[in-house]
Amino acid sequence: MSIKRSELRVDAKEKLNGEAKYVRDEKIPNMIFGATVRSSISNGIIKNITFSKDYNWNNITIITAKDIILNKVSFLELDMPFLAEKFVRYIGEPIVLLASNDRDELNEAKKHVFIEYEEFPSIINLMESENSEIKLYGSNNIFKEIKINKGDLESAVVEAKHKISIETETGFQEHLYLEPQGAVAIPEPNRVTIRGSMQCPYYVKNALDKMFGGEKKITVIQTTTGGAFGGKEDFPSLLAGHAALLAVKSGKPVAMFYDREEDVRYTTKRHPSKCFYTAYTDDEGLILGLDIKLYFDGGAYSTLSSVVLSRGALTSIGSYYIPNARVIAKAVATNTVPSGAFRGFGGPQAVFAIEMLMEKIANELNISPLEIRKKNLIAAGLDTITGQLLKYSVSSKETFNDAIFMSRYQEKYDEFKKHNKNILTKLNNGDYPKDNENDKLKGIGIGLSIHGSGFTGTGENKIRGKIRCEVKDDGKIEIFTAITEMGQGEKTTFRKILADALSISIDEVLLSEVNTDLVPDSGPTVASRSTMVIGSLLVEVADELIEELTDILNTENEKGFVYKEGYFYDGDKIVCFSEAAKKIKGKHLFKEYSHPPLIKFDDINYIGDAYPVFSWAASIAEVEVDPVTFETKVVNFYTSHDIGKAINHDQVIAQIQGGCLQGIGYALYERTEIKNGKFDISGFNDYIIPTLTESPNFYVNVIENPYPFGPFGAKGLGELPLVGAGPAVASAFWMIFNKEFNKIPILPEMILEKIFEKEGTYVD
Amino acid sequence: MLINFNLNNENVQVDVNPKKRLLDVLREEFGMTSVKEGCGKGECGACTVFLESKRVNSCLVPIFQVVDKKVVTLEYVKSWEAYKILENSFIENGAVQCGFCIPGFIMSTVSLFNETDGKLNKPMIEEKLGGNICRCTGYSKIVDSIYSFADDNAFLMKIKEGFKDEKQ
Repeated sequence: MSIKRSELRVDAKEKLNGEAKYVRDEKIPNMIFGATVRSSISNGIIKNITFSKDYNWNNITIITAKDIILNKVSFLELDMPFLAEKFVRYIGEPIVLLASNDRDELNEAKKHVFIEYEEFPSIINLMESENSEIKLYGSNNIFKEIKINKGDLESAVVEAKHKISIETETGFQEHLYLEPQGAVAIPEPNRVTIRGSMQCPYYVKNALDKMFGGEKKITVIQTTTGGAFGGKEDFPSLLAGHAALLAVKSGKPVAMFYDREEDVRYTTKRHPSKCFYTAYTDDEGLILGLDIKLYFDGGAYSTLSSVVLSRGALTSIGSYYIPNARVIAKAVATNTVPSGAFRGFGGPQAVFAIEMLMEKIANELNISPLEIRKKNLIAAGLDTITGQLLKYSVSSKETFNDAIFMSRYQEKYDEFKKHNKNILTKLNNGDYPKDNENDKLKGIGIGLSIHGSGFTGTGENKIRGKIRCEVKDDGKIEIFTAITEMGQGEKTTFRKILADALSISIDEVLLSEVNTDLVPDSGPTVASRSTMVIGSLLVEVADELIEELTDILNTENEKGFVYKEGYFYDGDKIVCFSEAAKKIKGKHLFKEYSHPPLIKFDDINYIGDAYPVFSWAASIAEVEVDPVTFETKVVNFYTSHDIGKAINHDQVIAQIQGGCLQGIGYALYERTEIKNGKFDISGFNDYIIPTLTESPNFYVNVIENPYPFGPFGAKGLGELPLVGAGPAVASAFWMIFNKEFNKIPILPEMILEKIFEKEGTYVD
Repeated sequence: MLINFNLNNENVQVDVNPKKRLLDVLREEFGMTSVKEGCGKGECGACTVFLESKRVNSCLVPIFQVVDKKVVTLEYVKSWEAYKILENSFIENGAVQCGFCIPGFIMSTVSLFNETDGKLNKPMIEEKLGGNICRCTGYSKIVDSIYSFADDNAFLMKIKEGFKDEKQ
């Protein structure tokens, strides 16, 4: 069994010619539309809901909290309602649902719903939450607190020669998948079928099972999904719930289709963070101890904040070996839209903090950014923050060296420093900084990143992802899994893994539609787990099929068959796989995942193997800054990724490029803040993501350092590219200006502020 | 109001509010679902169609503005020989991920070749496709798919043939 380098995407053609049906493209007879009436205040009690008597409501279906059997969306906790009943916690919180066949009428009807509130003060700033008099969650507004202790921080403090601190800040990030959120609920007497754009059909099914108190049979079908990035992990449960409530009451299929403005204002974002790092080092910058505090803004309800925080805390030391450390991490409540999953899941915030700490130590001790990282880099044989001893598939050094070599970092660093000197001197003196119109400041930065593959801790063992495979009449094998295609390439990857494991053509492997009536619960499509976790089950299926068919052929022929490259062979007879497989047509194979017993984690004390394995990356960003306008651009981006094994090489490269560009956007462009209690954006016009013009030349290398328990050695990929890109970009700004850049996105006005900062100088 | 226009080389008539967006008319009245709504504000390019052979964001065009004019969508362009070549290039280069932006990219690419007479360089591609937003790919493979025809005259002729068909 061997893996082919690349396979063309199986879903490309229908997407190119426009025939792929996303949820808005489907024709569903008698379908009507739903709309949401939302809270106009950030915090308060709902005193009264009135429906204007002058308005004709005959054609409108109305749902309020009273219509819901169990009015809580089932995530990790049951705190968020489908519709607010007694109180509201953020501007935009759904209160009333309306449905009609006429969308113009819906817009009019919304104006005739009047909600009377008693308004309370609200918490908007995450740092004010914990000690606030205003109580949104429990006694202290903390959704989750994590403490990790490693070694003996106190003795490191005594031993150290330097104490170096940094505070970092990251903002909201909007997913901005091209296809906005959308779901349709189709009612039948005892059943509701959901068709929609989503990552996790079983999350939706479980949420609706609970919402209806088991009174309806729920079927969830994923339609072609136009991007997700975590944004369609948790939110579709709420949206599908809304559609289902309206559908059952109206007796008609109901579509909840958000337009872009509704989507960016009222759906989840990446958790904003404030991180406080204090390093205790020796004279050479070796970190002896590290004191870390992380604060994540969870928004109004807990949703997935506890697990996002968990990954943040576990990733808080990045790619480094820290012998003594203390981590205190808190996810707090504020009166804002609940934060949710976003590619990286707590990692990007924490990795930004540790990487900026590296910059600061380098800066203060006058060590090069490379040297400081090299000195503290973790390696096989060392242990992580939870005491997880790294035994296999560790590529911290390999990716680091590869990225430096590929980018000619050192050479460019020196060259750019020299190049910038003249421009910076002029800026410093208040002179016009350009000799030529095209003069730019040039920077080069480095960022290292790490991402644990699969769920944190014991998650995989709790959820036990399942698949089923079926042998078809013609000897083809059909895979049934709840893992979804959302653009990342799962449809091709899964078929390719099974095909390559059997040494047969990808055309001999089929993949079922994702319909909860047909597919078992494979767990959600999140956490860079699909290829590693479910992919390993596909290899098990292949092994079982080969073994069983070999046995059957041996019994039938009283010979010794061996399996060779897609054929069973016994010396004089040769049978191709599909021919042999026909002998067991109709057979179902079931597989269920759990970690190899070697992997052990203590969820309470955060000790042990937090992840079965980590993926590694090192990235180098070359940045240009216009010294007059402070307009920024990443010109070249180099990255080296170790993902164990590239299952589909070309698509791995594609995913790395796309993820890195999201990280670049996070570092330079993507900004939204809460103004007057709500997000100050309405879409692509004011939430700026990189276009083709902002996209750098990408140079991507994939290092293959196999994970012994992954399919063909593969481990996680999806999130890693985003995690390290932002820090690499920010590092280039430290290099150019010799100043502290501790906050992203780095906007032109922030650079200007740095220029005018009194202390420090940006000329070396 | 009755609106007459030419859609994909056929004269059609539709009775709608004249302020209705071309995007909605194409999708709802004619089932042209290759035309996607990504933003509704002319910012993302997912709803790109040709109006009188020039590309437009159909979310910004009220239907009364197309009276007696020619509108072309991907449903028609996909039958062109040039499309098949382009399709193959996007597939071979692995340029498609979630796919939602892709019909818009194809329409803009076809228009780009038509407007620049095919002598393309990368900055021109960047400029002309800067109005099409993709969140998945990092654009690199999309540009590769297009750039391979930068000075391919035979391909350019096929693009022109497509537009010629449409004018008949």
